[in-house]
Amino acid sequence: MASPGVELVRRMAAGDREALTAFYDLYAPLAFGLLRRMLRDVDDAAEVLQEVFWELWRAAGEYDPRRGSPEAWVTVRARSRGIDRVRSVRRREEMFVAPTRETTAAAPAATGNPSSVVEDREMARGVLRELPAEQREVIELAYLQGMTQSEISARLGLPLGTVKTRMRLGMERLRARAGSRT
Amino acid sequence: MSAAHEPLDELVAGHVLGALEGEDASRFAAHLAAGCTECERAIVEYQEALAGAAADVREAPPARVRHALLERIGESPARRSRVGQALGWAASVALAAGIGAVVSASWVRARYEVRLEQMASEAAGLQAELAEQVRTVSDLRQRLGEQERTLTLVKAQAAEQERTLALLGDPETRLVMLGGLTPHPQAQARIIWNAHAGGLLVAADLPPLPEGKIYELWAIAGGKPLPAGLFGVDAQGKGRLAVAPLPGGASVDVFAVTLEPAGGVQSPTGAMYLASKKA
Repeated sequence: MASPGVELVRRMAAGDREALTAFYDLYAPLAFGLLRRMLRDVDDAAEVLQEVFWELWRAAGEYDPRRGSPEAWVTVRARSRGIDRVRSVRRREEMFVAPTRETTAAAPAATGNPSSVVEDREMARGVLRELPAEQREVIELAYLQGMTQSEISARLGLPLGTVKTRMRLGMERLRARAGSRT
Repeated sequence: MSAAHEPLDELVAGHVLGALEGEDASRFAAHLAAGCTECERAIVEYQEALAGAAADVREAPPARVRHALLERIGESPARRSRVGQALGWAASVALAAGIGAVVSASWVRARYEVRLEQMASEAAGLQAELAEQVRTVSDLRQRLGEQERTLTLVKAQAAEQERTLALLGDPETRLVMLGGLTPHPQAQARIIWNAHAGGLLVAADLPPLPEGKIYELWAIAGGKPLPAGLFGVDAQGKGRLAVAPLPGGASVDVFAVTLEPAGGVQSPTGAMYLASKKA
């Protein structure tokens, strides 16, 4: 079997709490590392992590190994809940915090240097590091900060087409690297 | 991907990164809904690639998350599917009549035990909240009492100041100086005095009162000392006293202050600390 997680998810679907414990120990660092790069506040990240695994426990019966590995299942859910939190923190801070302050999850100020903030939270270890900086930048702004293609275009002062192209090239390269590593 | 499919490649990447919007998003959703195995496969591969990138930045979470999660799961009712699976479909049909009631009774009991525990915990929480509110109310009452006392004091001070202003505005009002005598020569006092309206004594640099003693002011008229009021002093030796006019608005020749037993006396017995010159 490709991943020990598949069997654990099957047992989780049958209500096996020990399987969840083992599953958590195996995959929580994966989700938490990602959440930490999305949310600067460690308590926010910890809270979202618990919510993610609670949802995975409840949704275990819906998991289909043909549609992705447990790693991808965990990562997709963590990223989705993480972005929800990023946006809610951003809304909260836009309402209550002076707009000039760099916020926990808000995108960098339009006048600032975007790459400096990206570097601060980058995932540029391992496989992402091998991407050209301009491709990595657009991927991280979308994936970690929940920005849309046109928001990234406005933020970086790039034509929308350039953002789309960099995103595609970066993702294709990432996929090729991932494929060669397995 | 095929050349005909190429315009959608950018949409796949944007979709997986959650960065599509507007027309792009709806176009790609329609494309997927129509069933495109090529795009579905690309989505899975991109998601795996992102999971691989996330694996490079793994980080151990705080232990409390694990505890909280397991506690939460432990409190949630056991899944129905677990019972069904343990029995198996055939067995569950065959035994349903016999043990179904027992199983569901124990399941219901377990469910209610959990609910009862939850209710007990909620009740304890409410009780704590109520106790906290009782404390808050008592605290608010105490503060209200303090504020009422402050208000009374402020009103008394305002009345005294009003009276002083009225006194100062009266042409018959005069200022009487009292000098310190042998027991404490540095002591001094002034009386703003009006024979018809009374006055106000302000004393300074008097020694602290011994236990059981008080300062008494005397208004001496026609050689006879009349008691005009009692006062104490603060840590700096300062004291104040509102003085009533003598009966009939009689004029005062001399004001004097003596140290007397607490409660005061009708004629002076103790040492004299302050006295004015004869008017």
